Amino acid sequence: MGENSNSVLVIGGGIAGIQASLDLAERGIKVELVEKKPCIGGRMAQLDKTFPTNDCSICILAPKLAECYRHPNITLHTLAEVKEITGKAGNFKAKLLQHARYIKAEECINCGICIEKCPMRVDDEFDVFLRKRRAIYIYFLQGVPSIMAIDPEKCLYLTKDACRICEKVCEREAIDFEQKDSEVNLNVKSIIVATGYEPFDPSPLVNLGYKHLPNVVTGLEFERMICASGPLKGHLIRSSDRKEPKKLAFINCVGSRDMKYNPYCSSVCCMYTTKEAMIAYEHDNSIQSFIFYIDLRAGGKGFREYIERGQKEYGIKYIKGKVAKIIEDDDKNPIIIYEDMNTSKMKKFPVDLVILATSMIPNKDTPELANILGIDLDKNNFFLSNAYLPLDSSKKGIYICGCCRGPMDIPNSVIDASGAAAKAAENAIREG
Amino acid sequence: MEDIKMGVFICHCGTNIGGFLDVPSLVEYAKTLPNVTFATDNLYSCSEVGLSLIKEKIEEHDLNRVIVASCTPRTHEPLFRSICQEAGLNPYLFEMVNIRDQCSWVHMKETEAATEKAKILIEMGVAKALLLQPLEKFQIDINPTALIIGGGIAGMTAALNLANQEFKVILIEKEPELGGLLRYLYKLYPTHDDASKVLEVRNLVENHQKIKVITSTEPVKIEGFIGNYKVSVKRRDGIYDIDTGIIIVATGAQVLKPEGLFGYNGSTIITQLELEQLLKENKINVKNIVMIQCVGARNEERRYCSNICCMTALKNAMLIKELKPDANISIIFRDIQTQGTTYEEYYRKAREKGITFIRYIPEKVPIVKESNIEVYNDYLNQDISIPYDMIVLSTPLIANPDSEDLAKMLKVPLEENHFFLEAHVKLRPVDFATDGIYVCGSAHWPADIPEAISQAYAAASRASTIISKDVLEVEGAIAEVDEDLCVGCGICIKICPYNAISMDDNGIAHVTEASCKGCGLCGATCPEKAITNHHFTTKQILAQILASGGK
Amino acid sequence: MSFEPNILGFLCNWCSYAGADLAGVSRVQYPPNIRVIRVMCSGRVDPVFVIEALATGLDGVIVMGCHLGDCHYIDGNYEEKMKLDLLSKALQLIGLSGRFRLEWVSASEGVRFGQVVSEFTKQIKNEGPSPFSGSKPNQKLKEDLEAIKRTLSDNRLRTLVGRERAITEFGNVYEEIIEFEEYEKIIDDALNSEFLRNKILIKLEKEPLSVKNLSKSLSIESSLILEHIVSLKARNLIDFNRIDGITPYYHALKEAL
Ligand SMILES: Cc1cc2nc3c(=O)[nH]c(=O)nc-3n(C[C@H](O)[C@H](O)[C@H](O)COP(=O)(O)OP(=O)(O)OC[C@H]3O[C@@H](n4cnc5c(N)ncnc54)[C@H](O)[C@@H]3O)c2cc1C
Ligand SMILES: Cc1cc2nc3c(=O)[nH]c(=O)nc-3n(C[C@H](O)[C@H](O)[C@H](O)COP(=O)(O)OP(=O)(O)OC[C@H]3O[C@@H](n4cnc5c(N)ncnc54)[C@H](O)[C@@H]3O)c2cc1C
Ligand code: SF4
Ligand code: SF4
Ligand code: SF4
Ligand code: SF4
Ligand code: SF4
Repeated sequence: MGENSNSVLVIGGGIAGIQASLDLAERGIKVELVEKKPCIGGRMAQLDKTFPTNDCSICILAPKLAECYRHPNITLHTLAEVKEITGKAGNFKAKLLQHARYIKAEECINCGICIEKCPMRVDDEFDVFLRKRRAIYIYFLQGVPSIMAIDPEKCLYLTKDACRICEKVCEREAIDFEQKDSEVNLNVKSIIVATGYEPFDPSPLVNLGYKHLPNVVTGLEFERMICASGPLKGHLIRSSDRKEPKKLAFINCVGSRDMKYNPYCSSVCCMYTTKEAMIAYEHDNSIQSFIFYIDLRAGGKGFREYIERGQKEYGIKYIKGKVAKIIEDDDKNPIIIYEDMNTSKMKKFPVDLVILATSMIPNKDTPELANILGIDLDKNNFFLSNAYLPLDSSKKGIYICGCCRGPMDIPNSVIDASGAAAKAAENAIREG
Repeated sequence: MEDIKMGVFICHCGTNIGGFLDVPSLVEYAKTLPNVTFATDNLYSCSEVGLSLIKEKIEEHDLNRVIVASCTPRTHEPLFRSICQEAGLNPYLFEMVNIRDQCSWVHMKETEAATEKAKILIEMGVAKALLLQPLEKFQIDINPTALIIGGGIAGMTAALNLANQEFKVILIEKEPELGGLLRYLYKLYPTHDDASKVLEVRNLVENHQKIKVITSTEPVKIEGFIGNYKVSVKRRDGIYDIDTGIIIVATGAQVLKPEGLFGYNGSTIITQLELEQLLKENKINVKNIVMIQCVGARNEERRYCSNICCMTALKNAMLIKELKPDANISIIFRDIQTQGTTYEEYYRKAREKGITFIRYIPEKVPIVKESNIEVYNDYLNQDISIPYDMIVLSTPLIANPDSEDLAKMLKVPLEENHFFLEAHVKLRPVDFATDGIYVCGSAHWPADIPEAISQAYAAASRASTIISKDVLEVEGAIAEVDEDLCVGCGICIKICPYNAISMDDNGIAHVTEASCKGCGLCGATCPEKAITNHHFTTKQILAQILASGGK
Repeated sequence: MSFEPNILGFLCNWCSYAGADLAGVSRVQYPPNIRVIRVMCSGRVDPVFVIEALATGLDGVIVMGCHLGDCHYIDGNYEEKMKLDLLSKALQLIGLSGRFRLEWVSASEGVRFGQVVSEFTKQIKNEGPSPFSGSKPNQKLKEDLEAIKRTLSDNRLRTLVGRERAITEFGNVYEEIIEFEEYEKIIDDALNSEFLRNKILIKLEKEPLSVKNLSKSLSIESSLILEHIVSLKARNLIDFNRIDGITPYYHALKEAL
C-alpha cells in the first residue's frame, strides 16, 4: 500500500464537498479536498439566510468550515484544479494544478493591512460585482483558510511590474511574489465530484431588462444586498436612486422550464423567492412582495407550511402568471407586463424592484472536468446520474453529489454528500 | 490548596494590537494580578517563535495556568491548547482573552480607554483561570454493529453499504418479507423499470455474510446511548435483546386511504396504489380515466405536499397510454410537483403523449357525479365536465400509525405530520439530535426511490463515522449532576436538547458523557442548582463578573 | 468627567461572539464600555448571573445569542428567552429593567453588533451610574435586588420556568396543554408573591418585626403581609419572637444578611 493508501479526492469545496470530506475524515479516511477558489464555502457562503428555517447561512456554515480546516484527516488544496486523472477505482492518480497564492499561508494573520494599501480596485465576484475588492483580498470575510490571496490578473506588480506596496506594509512578511504555480500528484482510491452550479445570466432574455433596467436584479444579487455583511450592510436600497424599495416583485423560473434556455426546473427558486420576500419584510415591515409563478413547487419537508406562513405572516402575494416583459417608468420604477392566468388578460404591474429567480446551471468548466474524469454528462450538462444509483457517475469509483448532478437545495446537497462519502468509503474498502 | 502559577502572554499581533493598545502597560498590570508568576508580551503569539516561548516559559516557571491575550478563541484556542498539552499542561488550564477582534480593532481611536478595557478583560481571564480545573476527554467504547429498523428500499440500501464497508449489520422488518412499499408497485418512474427488478437487491441483502435479516420482528424497547444501544425486539416466539452501536430508522410510510373522499369505492374510484395492482395484473379495460391530485393533502388536516404523487400520476397515466393508446386520460391538479432536471422532462413528455392537464383551485374542488366529473377550470374561467369510467385518486403518503411509539422508544421527536424530525433541517438532515440514531427514506418525509436511496447512503455514512471507531473521544467540558443536591425533579431531562440526561434507579439525574454537548442549558435551569457545567461553572462565571469592573 | 458606564455582555460562542469578531474584522467602531463573557450557548446564562452583575455595581448587562431558530444547540435560546423574560419582569418590579437587555445577533451581523452595543451604551448612560456603585449605594434597592435574586434562585420559580415549555407545548403529566397566557399568569403570580415573601424575610433577618411594622415599611396591606407570614411560618423560615402587648413579633430563622 502506498502513502495515500486510503484516501479520497473530493473536488469542490461547497457545502456538498465539505460535508463529504468531514464524513470521510471522521470515518478515518484521508481526504484531499480541492477547491478552485481561494476559500471553501461555495454558494452557501453567499446566501443571507436559508429556507426553510431561515437561519443565517454563514452562522451554520462557519463551524463546518473551521472543522474542515482543522481536521487532521483533511488536506485542503485551495486555488487548485484537477488537471489529469488516470488509473481506475481503487487506484486513481490525480494531477492537480496548484495556483500560486503569493502569500505564505503560515505567516498571514488576516489583519487586512495590505488590503487597505493596495491601490487596485477589482470587481468582487463573491459579492456578485456589487462591490469592489482589491487585488490582494480575502475571498469573503469569514473565509477559510482565513488568509489573503493575490489576484495575479489584477495585481500591478504581477501584471505591470509596479507597486509591491503590500509587501512593504505587511508586518509578517507574508507576501511572497516568488511563488509559482505548481503540480501536486496524489494517489486516491475514490473520487467525489461536488463542483456545484452557477447562476444563469438572464441578459439574453432581453424582455426582462436585466442589466438595462437598474432596478432589476437577480436572486443571488438580492441575497448579497440584504445580507448584513454584504455590500449594502443589509440596508436594502435600489441602485438607481438609493431609495428603499417598498414594493418588490419576484419572478420565478427565469431561464428555467424554458426550452430556449434551460428546459428543467431549478428546484429551489419557488422556495428561495419566498425566503427572500420574508427577509425583506423582516428588514422593513412596510415592504410588500409579489411572487409571479407558474407552479409553486414545495414538496420538501415543511415547505408547504413555509409558503403558507409567507402568505399569512409576511403578507406575500402569489400571482400565477407568465411575465411577458418588464419596462420602466420615468422614475425608473419597473413595470411588469404579464398574462394573468386566471383571466388570460395582459396586465400591468408597477413595482419598485424586480428580483429574477434565475436558473441554476452547470459550471462552465463542467464538460472539461467530465473529460478529465472520463465521466458522462446529461443533456443539460450536469454530471449524469442513474435513478437507482443516484450518486454513481458513469465510471466506477467516481461519485457525484450536490448541485453538480442537478439543481437541489442545501438539505439535499448535504444528503447527497454524506451518501457519496458512504459510496466512496465502500469503494475504497472493497477495492483496497 | 493547589499552588497556582499563572503565566500571561500578551500579543502585539504586529501593530494590530500593539498599534492601538499600550501593550507594555498591560504586561505590567498583569504582573500585579493574583497568582501571576510570569507575564510578557509577544510579537506574534501564534508564530513558531511565539509558541516556543510559551512552551519554554511553562517549563521554566512550572506554570500551571496559561493565559494568552490576543485574537479570538474561535480561531486560535485549539492551537494554544495544543501547545499547552505539548508542554505537559492539561489543555483545559488554558484561557484566552480577546483583546484584538473585540478590543483593539473596534476602539482604534481610543488607545487609553481601550487599554483600560483590555486590563479588565485580562483581569477577568485571570479570575476565571484561577478556578479552572483540569478535565479529561471521555473515552466511550463503541460496538461496531449497526441495527436498521425497516427493510424497505431505504433500509436495504443502508444495510448493503454498511455491510460492504465490513460492518456487522442487523436488519429487522416487521412484515414477513423485505421490500416495503415497492412490493406493491408495477413500474417505476422515471425509468419505467419493473419494480421487481429494483427489488432484486433483496437477494444481495439476504445472502450477505455481514447482514442478519430478521423478519416479522419489531422493536419494543430501546435503551442505552451512542455506541452502546440495547434494543429489545418482539418476534413470534418472544422478546430478544440486540446490542448495537447505532440505529437507523427506515420504517417508511403508508398510503392514505381516502375513505369518504370523491366517492372512493375501491372499484371504479380507486387510489394510485390500487391502480398499480391493476396494472400489474394487466386489468385495465376502461377508456376514460380521470386522476385527481392532492386528495387528502394540502388541506386543513394535512397541510403538506406529499412530494411523490404527481410523478406517480404522470407515470401511471403514461403507462396506461402505452397499453391503451386510445384511452382518454385527464389529470386534475393544483401544482405539478416535478422538480429537477429529469422530472420536468417527464412532465413535458406526459403532455406530449396527449394527457390532459386541468388545474383546479382548492376553493372549487372537483365534484364527482355518476359518470362525469365537474370541475372549475381556472384557466378558462368556467366549469367543465369530464366523463369517466374510472377515477384514480392521488393520495399522500402519511406517517405510520406506530411512529409515535417508536419515537418515544428512541426518545426522538416527530414533526407536526408525525414524520421523524431530524437534528437540523439543513446541515444534519439524516441525524437525530440524539447521537448515534439516524433516519432515512419515507420515515423522514415522503421520498421516492432515488431520494430514499441517497438518504440511505447518507445515513450509512453518518453511522460509519461512529462505528468505524473502537473508542469515541468526547469533549471534557460537559455537565455533571451533584447527586447530593439533585431532587429528581426531571426538569433537566426534558430540557436537554440532546437527551443526554436520564434518571437512574434512585431517582437521581445522571449525564451520559457520550451525549452531552456542553451547552450549559441544564445548569442554568436546574431548580436545585445541582448541575455543574464544567469549564463554564457558576463559580468561574461569577468570578469573571466580579472582575469585570463593578465597584 | 462624563459618566462612562461599565457594561457586561454575555455572548454565545456560535453567533453573537462570532458577530462581535466580525465587527472586529470589519473594523466597526463602538464604545469600549462593554466587557464580554463568552458562554457556549446563551442558554447557559442563569438569570441570577445578571442579578449578581447588577449587584456588584455594573451599570448594565446585555445577553446576546443566536436568533431564534439559529441556535447551535437546537433551541437553547428559546429556553433562555423564557428565563430572561421572567428576569425582565422581575427587574421591572424594582425599576431596574432599563439596565438589562436581551438581543439576538448572528455571526454575519458585525455591523449590527456594533450598533446594538452603541445603543445599549447610550441607554445605560441615560440610566446613569448604578445605584449600587459609588460611596453611597442605595440600601433599600439593594435589599429589593437581594429579594429578587432569592426569588429567582429559589426552586419554586425555577421549577415553573424550567417546565414552561414542556407544559405549554407538550402538555403536563395528564397530557393537557396549558395555554401559554394562562401559564404566564401562574408565573407572574408566583413572581409577585415570592418577591414579597423574600422582602419580608430579609426584613425579619435584620430585626424582629410585627405585621404592622412590615406593612408600613413595605407599604403593603397588612392582610397580605399576614398571609405571607403564615406561609413563611409554615415553611419554617420564620418564628414568633415575642408578643409585645397584643402584637406578635416575628424573626427569621436564618442568619441575617
Ligand atoms: C439565489 C439563491 C438562493 C438560494 N437559497 C437557498 C436556501 O435558502 N436554502 C437552500 O437550501 N438552498 C438555497 N439555494 C441553493 C444552494 O445554493 C445550493 O443547494 C448549494 O449551494 C449547493 O451546494 P454545492 O456544494 O453542491 O455547490 P456550490 O455551493 O456551488 O459549491 C461548489 C464548489 O465547488 C467549487 N468548484 C467548482 N468547480 C470546481 C473545479 N473544477 N475544481 C475545484 N473546485 C470547483 C466552487 O468554487 C464551489 O466552491 C439557493 C440558491 C440560489 C441561487
Ligand atoms: C402508489 C405509489 C407509487 C409509487 N411509485 C414510485 C415510482 O414509480 N418511483 C419511485 O421512485 N417511487 C415511487 N413511489 C415511492 C416509493 O414507494 C418509496 O420511495 C419507497 O417505498 C420508500 O422506501 P422506504 O424504504 O423509505 O419505505 P417503505 O417502502 O415504506 O419501507 C419501510 C419498511 O419498514 C417496515 N417497518 C415499518 N415500521 C416498522 C417497525 N416498527 N419495525 C420494523 N419494520 C418496520 C415496513 O414494513 C416496510 O417494509 C411510489 C409510492 C406509491 C405510494
Ligand atoms: S498578507 Fe500580511 S498584511 Fe496582508 S493580511 Fe496577511 S499578514 Fe496582514
Ligand atoms: S495569536 Fe492572534 S493576535 Fe497574536 S499574532 Fe497570532 S493572530 Fe495575531
Ligand atoms: S405531489 Fe402533487 S399530488 Fe401529491 S400532494 Fe404534492 S402537489 Fe399534491
Ligand atoms: S433539574 Fe436538577 S434537581 Fe431536577 S433532576 Fe435535574 S439535576 Fe436533579
Ligand atoms: S450541558 Fe447541554 S447537552 Fe449537556 S446535559 Fe446539559 S443540557 Fe444536555
